[in-house]
Amino acid sequence: MTDLVCVQTDDFDLAGEYRRLRDLSSRVGAVVTFCGLVRDFESSSSEIDPDAPINNLTLQHYPGMTEALLAEIIEQAKTRWSLYGVTVIHRIGTLAPNDQIVFVGVATEHRKQAFDAAQFLMDYLKTQATLWKKVTAKGKEQWLDAKGSDDDAAAEWGESRND
Amino acid sequence: MIDLLFFGRLGDLAAEVDRSVTCVDGRATPLAIREWLATEHQSLAKELSEPQVLVSVNKMIVKWDQPLFDGDELAFLPPVTGG
Repeated sequence: MTDLVCVQTDDFDLAGEYRRLRDLSSRVGAVVTFCGLVRDFESSSSEIDPDAPINNLTLQHYPGMTEALLAEIIEQAKTRWSLYGVTVIHRIGTLAPNDQIVFVGVATEHRKQAFDAAQFLMDYLKTQATLWKKVTAKGKEQWLDAKGSDDDAAAEWGESRND
Repeated sequence: MIDLLFFGRLGDLAAEVDRSVTCVDGRATPLAIREWLATEHQSLAKELSEPQVLVSVNKMIVKWDQPLFDGDELAFLPPVTGG
C-alpha cells in the first residue's frame, strides 16, 4: 500500500509517518511532510473576540465521503507528479490548541515534486474535503466560515471540482 | 425513503427537521426538498439557498435538479473548513 488516507480521532506520530514514506522505495529521494496544528485563536471568526483564547476546536466530517474525496485528491496529484506514495491524515472530534490536526506527506524522487504535491494536496484538502470546524471560546460555540484565500490558493492549480 | 443529512452550521439549523422523507421515485430533487423545507424552516432554507452550499447524493456531489430515488442519502454541505 503506497497511499494512506485516515480520518481519525487519534493523534498521529510524525516520525512513524515519515518512516513509512521513506521506506516505500529505495528510489525515494525526497519526503516532504506538512503538519497542521490547532491555533489558539481564529482571526477569521467574526463574533468571537479574536484575541480570546480558544478552549477547543471540534471537527465534524462526512464519514465515507471525506475518505473518498481525499483519495480522489491524491489521484489528481498523481496525474500531475510522479509520486511513490502519499499519506493524508485528518483528525476529527475535539482538539485543543497546539494539537496536531492534519498531516500530509509525499515521497518522490526529487524535492520540487514533493514540495509542489504537498502544497497541492493541502490546498485541495482545505477546499474540497468534507470537514467542518467549530470553535468553542469563552463558552460560546461558532462554526467557522470558509476563507476566500483558501479558494484562491486551490484555484491557482487550475481545474476545480465545483466548476 | 430518502435520508437527509445536514453538516456544519446547517446541522444546528436543522435540529427540528425530520431526517427521512418519503418521495415519489425520480420526481423529487434536492431543490424540491429545499423548497419543501422552506415552508416550515425558513432560517434553514435561507442558509441552504446560499450559493456556496453544495448537495451530494450517496456521497457524490450532484446538481440541485438531480432526480432522487428511494434509499438515496441526500446531504447538504456548507463550505468546508478542514485542514
